[in-house]
Amino acid sequence: MKAEEAFPEQSLAPWVPVVGLEIHAQISSNSKLFSGSQVQFAAPPNSLVSFFDASLPGTLPVLNRRCVEAAVMTGLALNCSINKKSLFDRKHYFYADLPAGYQITQQRVPIAVNGSLSYSLCIDNKMSQMVTKTVRIKQIQLEQDSGKSLHDDTRSQTLIDLNRAGVGLMEVVMEPDMCCGEEAAAAVRELQLILQTLGSSQAVMAEGQLRVDANVSVHHPGEPYGVRTEVKNINSIRFLAKAVDYEIQRQIEELENGGTILNETRAFDSKLGCTVPMRDKEGKQDYRFMPEPNLPPLILYDAKSLPANMNHQQVVNIDWIHKRLPDLPSVKRAKLVEQYGILPEHSFTLLNEDGLAEFFENVVKQTQMKPKKVIGWIIKDLLSHLKQHSLTVKESPVSSFLLADLLNLLVKKDISSTAAKQVLAELWKGEGKTPLEIVKEKKLGLIQDQKELEQICQAVIDRQENEVMAIKSGNQKVLNKLIGLVQRETQGRSNAVLVRQILEKKLSE
Amino acid sequence: MLRASLRQVSAALRDGHVTPTELCQRCLSLIKSTKFLNAYITVAEESALKQAEESEERYRRGQPLGVLDGIPIAVKDNFNTAGIETTCASNMLKGYISPYNATVVQKLLDQGAVLLGKTNLDEFAMGSGSTDGVFGPVRNPWSYSRQYKEKSVPKSHSEDEESNWVITGGSSGGSAAAVSSFTCFAALGSDTGGSTRNPAAHCGVVGLKPTYGLISRHGLIPLVNSMDVPGILTRCVDDAAVVLGSLAGHDPKDSTTIQDNFKPFELPNLTDVSKLSIGIPKEYHAPGLSSEILALWSKAADLFKNAGAKVVEVSLPHTRYSIVCYHVLCTAEVASNMARFDGLEYGHRSDMNKSTESMYAATRREGFNDVVRGRILSGNYFLLKQNYENYFVKAQKVRRLIANDFVKVFGSGVDILLTPTTLSDAAPYTEFIKEDNRTRSAQDDILTQAANMAGLPAINVPTALSERGLPVGLQFIGRSFQEKQLLTVAKWFEKQVKFPMIQLEEVKRHDHGVFQHQKSASFS
Amino acid sequence: MWALRLCRGLRAVPVPPVRALRSAVPPRPAWQHGEPRPGPQQQVTAEVLGQLEHLALVDFRDAEGVERLQKAIRFADQLREVNTDGVEPMDSVLEDRCLYLREDDVTEGNCTEELLKNAREKVEEYFVAPPGNIPLPKVEDQETFLQGS
Repeated sequence: MKAEEAFPEQSLAPWVPVVGLEIHAQISSNSKLFSGSQVQFAAPPNSLVSFFDASLPGTLPVLNRRCVEAAVMTGLALNCSINKKSLFDRKHYFYADLPAGYQITQQRVPIAVNGSLSYSLCIDNKMSQMVTKTVRIKQIQLEQDSGKSLHDDTRSQTLIDLNRAGVGLMEVVMEPDMCCGEEAAAAVRELQLILQTLGSSQAVMAEGQLRVDANVSVHHPGEPYGVRTEVKNINSIRFLAKAVDYEIQRQIEELENGGTILNETRAFDSKLGCTVPMRDKEGKQDYRFMPEPNLPPLILYDAKSLPANMNHQQVVNIDWIHKRLPDLPSVKRAKLVEQYGILPEHSFTLLNEDGLAEFFENVVKQTQMKPKKVIGWIIKDLLSHLKQHSLTVKESPVSSFLLADLLNLLVKKDISSTAAKQVLAELWKGEGKTPLEIVKEKKLGLIQDQKELEQICQAVIDRQENEVMAIKSGNQKVLNKLIGLVQRETQGRSNAVLVRQILEKKLSE
Repeated sequence: MLRASLRQVSAALRDGHVTPTELCQRCLSLIKSTKFLNAYITVAEESALKQAEESEERYRRGQPLGVLDGIPIAVKDNFNTAGIETTCASNMLKGYISPYNATVVQKLLDQGAVLLGKTNLDEFAMGSGSTDGVFGPVRNPWSYSRQYKEKSVPKSHSEDEESNWVITGGSSGGSAAAVSSFTCFAALGSDTGGSTRNPAAHCGVVGLKPTYGLISRHGLIPLVNSMDVPGILTRCVDDAAVVLGSLAGHDPKDSTTIQDNFKPFELPNLTDVSKLSIGIPKEYHAPGLSSEILALWSKAADLFKNAGAKVVEVSLPHTRYSIVCYHVLCTAEVASNMARFDGLEYGHRSDMNKSTESMYAATRREGFNDVVRGRILSGNYFLLKQNYENYFVKAQKVRRLIANDFVKVFGSGVDILLTPTTLSDAAPYTEFIKEDNRTRSAQDDILTQAANMAGLPAINVPTALSERGLPVGLQFIGRSFQEKQLLTVAKWFEKQVKFPMIQLEEVKRHDHGVFQHQKSASFS
Repeated sequence: MWALRLCRGLRAVPVPPVRALRSAVPPRPAWQHGEPRPGPQQQVTAEVLGQLEHLALVDFRDAEGVERLQKAIRFADQLREVNTDGVEPMDSVLEDRCLYLREDDVTEGNCTEELLKNAREKVEEYFVAPPGNIPLPKVEDQETFLQGS
């Protein structure tokens, strides 16, 4: 999407918004990056904290192998070059939730560099028109998470919980190749899917496993990039799009009013829908990066450089990991399209919802209905029910078996599609009835008796004299009204095609 | 018996000539009567006696854990000891009781050693005199030796001992004094720029700095992570080998220990040095080296030569810059390592509570002495974005040059380097404090610092007494991880020089021991 | 062996020729301390001093503190004398060794009580800090001795 299309109100010299992202993904591992305390979301305060996490003097970092593997997997999935030798550094600043006064990170030589991520967008909100974009991945680095501060304003104090301190993070830096909130959101969504597929991070934003900071600036085409601001405190993908778009707009307005943009950090206020300056991060910050002296270089190997006699527990083999990478979302989507003949945008929806693709495939296996038809039921009907009740696919009261059963009735023309929707709604109540039972109970089955249908059609013809006259005088469209009346008469239990045939036959007599 | 070596007393324990509790009690008693030395910050009497009792039980059953079982030892107060205060001689950690033992402490305890207490040091190990800690300076036991008293000319009777006492050197002065005054048979120190070897030289004991990466630093409160090593102080080289054997080896809790297998060794009795090549680095004749020490150094070189060894002059051209290099890298690491002291999780905490930052600032102002604060500020200066390349990275490059100097020399066929350890014998306290800490450190570390830069093993062997009756030692520097060779040569040298035992009144009164060392002709 | 050798960065020290010594130990110091260079010496600005105090959360306390820093910088400036062209910085003597990797097992933690024991202030199971992170007043407002200098 071009800027002018995104912000058509800008009738003055066009602005080019530039958006880059810094994404922190919590590594899915049992223990922390440099210590053996457990990684878990909710736990009693300070119960998952080791001496090292609390920065007790004399304690030293020891690197968790699983975290290295997670970063390598992620790097490979993002087409990065994996650095066979990477280094750790200290980044210094004081904060109550950073016990050591510094964070261990990888500033000089991170574990992976120079990758790319492809993502898709709908043009003009039409699912049918999708375009693929690419954003460059500058680097992926391993670093420590900080603890949590809980502000207790009533008692004028801050409570510190270090359970999260030291948990492994992968920071993924995306170059400023994006130009609006939608692109940023789509890129993050795709990254999220990739991480979840790899299992390197569960990437649930609500649980803080995926955090996004956006770097936003605007400039006129042909001119150098403008001053950028960093936007933090974004808690969902939806808010990411909002925050980015707001900030772009704010900067444009500021500049058009003759103001300047400060190189500052701003927080997104989700209630107000705007960004505000963060007071705490003022002052000239200098992180005074220094090599971490307690961690020698991290060496990774591939098939060629594998050392002969080394303890295999000490070896991380990039090629071995590469071979075992699961199918990435883009590959999965392509396979779904190829295998089932569904549309690309359908494949996106399937993968976007956790478990939906699996559900779809299970239904297809258990029904005679063609996948191209099944997909509609999944994406429109099932999904809307799920959304209405805020349920995940796993929580669906209608199993794939039940849905397949229902669709089979439809395929056999035992019920109409309208009736099928009704049955689905009934099934959703989760009362344990089968589709067939519901059809019988609610008398939703299509009338199979030809004579009965003919009788009803005749009755309608007899009643609707005006319409019959109109049809006989050439207005075929009115036939639809008659069909509709028959449908109503039969409470939707007539096969529309059959009804049309019968009516036409009768009217031509 | 307190004057015996570790191995001798260990044999005595095995043979039942003395029990661990007796030994422990005697040491504790001696500590009390040598309190004026101020070598100990904390004496862990109760736990020590308990450990001694447990050791005794093992000996009774005929199942001692090893050579160290029942041996009283002391540990510098910058090693974490569970349940026993660890202060680093700083207000910041006064009253701090660590929940864990440093790996080296644990290893000693696992071998049955009896931990008598924590020894005094310069605050956070910053200094070369053991004079800058909050518990006051450590006094060199030799100040009270007959040898020193005989040589010193008292200006007046009242001025005698009180103002004339000399420093131990530092920063592991407490540990050196403890070993030197016979209150323990071995002590742990730390060595970053010479902090074990320097006081060892001034106190007339053996001070070993192992190769970086050989012994775990887990639990050693760091000064400069890339140079610190735990140091071993003992009365003789054989003892140092024993302690080394029980401490060295990979520690999964310390990623800077090497993963190679380590095998403890017994030192052979070297008789033939003809295959040895001793290097004399000329730059170690640094400005300010006393003529006495110069003469001793020469004599030592001759000693080797006359015994058939090859003695060659070599050059380590960047030696003179090691102190400057150290200054930059050390202050930078200090700035970083001290950032954790904010009062929030442990240690001193200021009452100031207007905001987190003001609380931190006040805590640090109250908790650190001037030396520490000065280094923190300097270190931060060198790490600033605009200074990083010109100072920190530059120093790292110079560090490589210094390390390469050694590589070249050892690569040319030299096995061991022989140098002085200090520029002079121990200075009187009143003289020492006239200069500020940084200047002093820069001067005193000149001969020891480069080995830390390069991570090489080095040892101080007490050689002779100076004209003032104070100990002077010489230093041997070896190749990486070649402690066996280094100690073998050091042992041979020690045997040749027959350094005299300190004649301390206090000890004589305590010691009705079986073992009496002969005072034999000394080296000087 | 005793001839004049001009090494890069070393101040040449003339040595009396010949007088063959038996010992390999040089009879005279092999070098001298350099004069403190008047060099490109900048006084550290008040702005930088303030920044340092803020970054380090340690104050200079008095003029002596500032002078100490100046001396430290002058001392460090001696490094400029060394030619380090083409020399790689050395992070650690173990740079050729590789990092030990630990298995992903939970082996620590669950020691809330032990940790809180050493904290002077705590609230239930939390460490407690004063409110917020209000930055210290800017240099102009600071009541340090820097005002008077």
